[in-house]
Amino acid sequence: MHTLMMNVNGSDVRVDIYPDETLAEVLRDRLGLIGTKVACGEGECGACTVLIDGVAVTSCITPAMKAHGRRVVTIEGLSEDKELHVIQQAFVDATASQCGYCTPGFIMATKALLDANPNPTRDEIMHGISGNLCRCTGYYQIVDAVALAAKRLAEEEQS
Amino acid sequence: MSKVVGSPQTRLDIVAKVKGTRKYPQDFNMEGQLWAAVVWAAHPHAIVRRIDTSAAEALPGVVRIITSKDVPVNSYGINIPDQPVLVGEGGKVRWVGDRIAIVVAQDRRTAYKARDLVRVDYEPLPVVSDVFAAMQENAPRIHEDRPSNILHHIPIRKGNVEEGFAQADVIVEGEVSTPFVEHAYMQPEAGIGYIDEEGRVTVIASAQWPHDDLHQIARMLDLPEDKVREIVPAVGGAFGGREDMYIQHLLALCAFVMRRPVKMVWDREESISRTGKRHPFYFRYKVGATREGVLTAVQIRLISDAGAYASTSIPVLNNAASFAAGPYKYPHAHVDAYTVFTNNAVTMAMRGFGATQPPVMYERMLDQLAEALHMDPVELRMKNLLGDGDISITGNAMWGGVGIKETLRQAALAAGWRQEGEHWVKPDLGQPSAPHKKRGIGIACAYKNVGYSFGFDDKSEAEVILRLKMDGSIASATVKTAAVDVGQGVTTALAQIAAETLGIPVSRVRIALIDTSDVPNAGSSSASRHVYITGNAVYGACKAALEKRERILLEESGELNVSARYLYRGRSRRPTTPYDPETGQCNPHIAYSYGTEIALVEVDAETGETEVLKMWAAHDAGRVVNPAQYFGQVAGGVHMGVGYGLTEEYIQQDSRPRTRRFSEYFIPTVLDMPRELVSLAVEVEDPTGPFGAKGLGETPTLPTAAAIANAIHDATGVWLNRIPATSEMVWRAIHGKG
Repeated sequence: MHTLMMNVNGSDVRVDIYPDETLAEVLRDRLGLIGTKVACGEGECGACTVLIDGVAVTSCITPAMKAHGRRVVTIEGLSEDKELHVIQQAFVDATASQCGYCTPGFIMATKALLDANPNPTRDEIMHGISGNLCRCTGYYQIVDAVALAAKRLAEEEQS
Repeated sequence: MSKVVGSPQTRLDIVAKVKGTRKYPQDFNMEGQLWAAVVWAAHPHAIVRRIDTSAAEALPGVVRIITSKDVPVNSYGINIPDQPVLVGEGGKVRWVGDRIAIVVAQDRRTAYKARDLVRVDYEPLPVVSDVFAAMQENAPRIHEDRPSNILHHIPIRKGNVEEGFAQADVIVEGEVSTPFVEHAYMQPEAGIGYIDEEGRVTVIASAQWPHDDLHQIARMLDLPEDKVREIVPAVGGAFGGREDMYIQHLLALCAFVMRRPVKMVWDREESISRTGKRHPFYFRYKVGATREGVLTAVQIRLISDAGAYASTSIPVLNNAASFAAGPYKYPHAHVDAYTVFTNNAVTMAMRGFGATQPPVMYERMLDQLAEALHMDPVELRMKNLLGDGDISITGNAMWGGVGIKETLRQAALAAGWRQEGEHWVKPDLGQPSAPHKKRGIGIACAYKNVGYSFGFDDKSEAEVILRLKMDGSIASATVKTAAVDVGQGVTTALAQIAAETLGIPVSRVRIALIDTSDVPNAGSSSASRHVYITGNAVYGACKAALEKRERILLEESGELNVSARYLYRGRSRRPTTPYDPETGQCNPHIAYSYGTEIALVEVDAETGETEVLKMWAAHDAGRVVNPAQYFGQVAGGVHMGVGYGLTEEYIQQDSRPRTRRFSEYFIPTVLDMPRELVSLAVEVEDPTGPFGAKGLGETPTLPTAAAIANAIHDATGVWLNRIPATSEMVWRAIHGKG
């Protein structure tokens, strides 16, 4: 067993893990953060996307030890004080979720995208989420949600 | 009266979904749970000679290995119980999704490690991978107890096709085949089996028809149905793929044997290569028309690959045959439809249920005719589409508001067609983005049943519980139904129907969680049926509850709880009948939905790559219950259709899987979708639907691939004989290297 120390959603955690455990396994099975979904196990679909030091990674193929000493943010860490994050609210308002299994991954990918590029064009949004698969929505309402979130975040910034 | 139905409504489950708190089957854990892993068949066709579990049992952490000896009744199946739960020594495996054993261990790693230590000796048998080979008289038999590998044949004989072809001025013919398709729901199979506090064998898993699972599990365990229970939490997509049991009964068996909670989570490779698929079809068509463009006759042979077990291959074939000619008036029709066993993947329900494959063929025939007649494809279709009261190939008069012509009219006008009297004029498509690219536009019309067909008694029961305030007004309403929200949004739609009927806001309606011990049987989340059938059940239960409330108020009894149940039977207002065994004439379907899609594509002549630039989708699902979800259903259907038309194929080689993960199976990403999708809601109401609603879940997938294939022809002049139209196939066709 190895000892993994990292900061998850603002709290320092220390867990003993097998050296080959993935970050998704640690988050879900050891820390109970079930919002991170595993769908493909090969980094193809983005359902397990979380942020390590602000960078989006597919946690299903990321060795957990890579997060050692770093800051991890999962879907559970996005909403402060139980209020929805602007991105989450935009997904609600644009009906950007159906079965919802891919939704946390899309929202985390959106967070990384908008942190890096607060004012993306529709093309940039599409490229920014093109690593995430959805089988239900056809993506249009997801792209709308990202654009809506960007608009609202920009308005927040101004006011 | 509120106007809840028809107004955009936020999904009831969406806040929990964006927060990541909504629980799917893999998110449940129980105190003291064990973990299980399946030992899958290593051959597609073989006798199991010996199963040696000793090495696996010796691995520390392994608790037990469950084999066929542990199964009280070792067979199951949704339509015909022809599948062994576990194949024992002396038994036969018929595809690679058959199961030999289940390893139960202290943790998941150990279970998966141990399953590779289970040694199974096989005596391989000749593998049948092709329907045409399977139909040969001397073909190896997949099921020894059957006279041949042909599972079912449906003839349809309307009029006299010889006469019909004699009246034709133009006759066209063609052949097309379609691929196996993976449902590829994002949530892999998972769940927990345990014994509940009342001693019931209980399963938490994704499902489409909880009460049918219950029935099958009770039969397998030789238990009364009230000793079995299924709880369905959030379901991460289904698309037909969870209508059969793949994991539910195995979890039940684990709980039954172990008497402890047992959890199982499949990986994507298991989810893809060990579960059912959309049927591949092999079509051969001949169609005749007069020089005025009036259809005179259609002759059809279609064969579907049933894979190793019956599953719902017969009902899928029933549907495919009845929709084989498309939404057109044919005075003479001759159909022979077959479904055939092979050692390939079991094929089953998938969005469209036999109505998704034929449009690729029948819409190509329409375009071939239009070309031969020098007639615009919209104009040819307009002359021949079914209307109210028109007679289909099964001899029944169409009922319920036939909106197909209106969908074509609206889609064509939106896409730029001009109507000049009876004539239609194709739009100018603009310049391609590069000299080596060619533009084309293609149309496809399609239709499908809503609800179960061919005399099947389609039922759904709902219970409504009202809590009243002292003044008799409704404080809240709880609706109990086993209609599973697999993502399509039925929970929200049913809440809207309840709210509208009761005259209260949706915020006062709660839909109970799905637990077979608490909610009544609603039938399956399939056949686009829940809004129509279960919507009628909810409407009926609400009306009955309101009547009871009236009595209570009159009696001034002070009672504050009112409950009512209502069982809706589709046949009470729209009886259907099975195929006549000789002529195929019948009244097949309760209700219908209709759709037209138009695709504008650009084909790269140098690479063969097709880009779908824009699509127009006009669908008649009757009254739209929730416009916010309507667009999502259409866009999701188009997405599945784009994959079907261009990239998706589950490939097997000698009945062994070759596409086992998402990196090998190409679901369209956001960049593969048409840049623009114009969605038009054509609301031709069905008077028997709740508030005039029909169904929407499936029709948006039906025309997409056909529209794209027709657009590729329009761009390049070549006809492809199969989908998906991969770059390589298109390139070969363009360069004459078919």
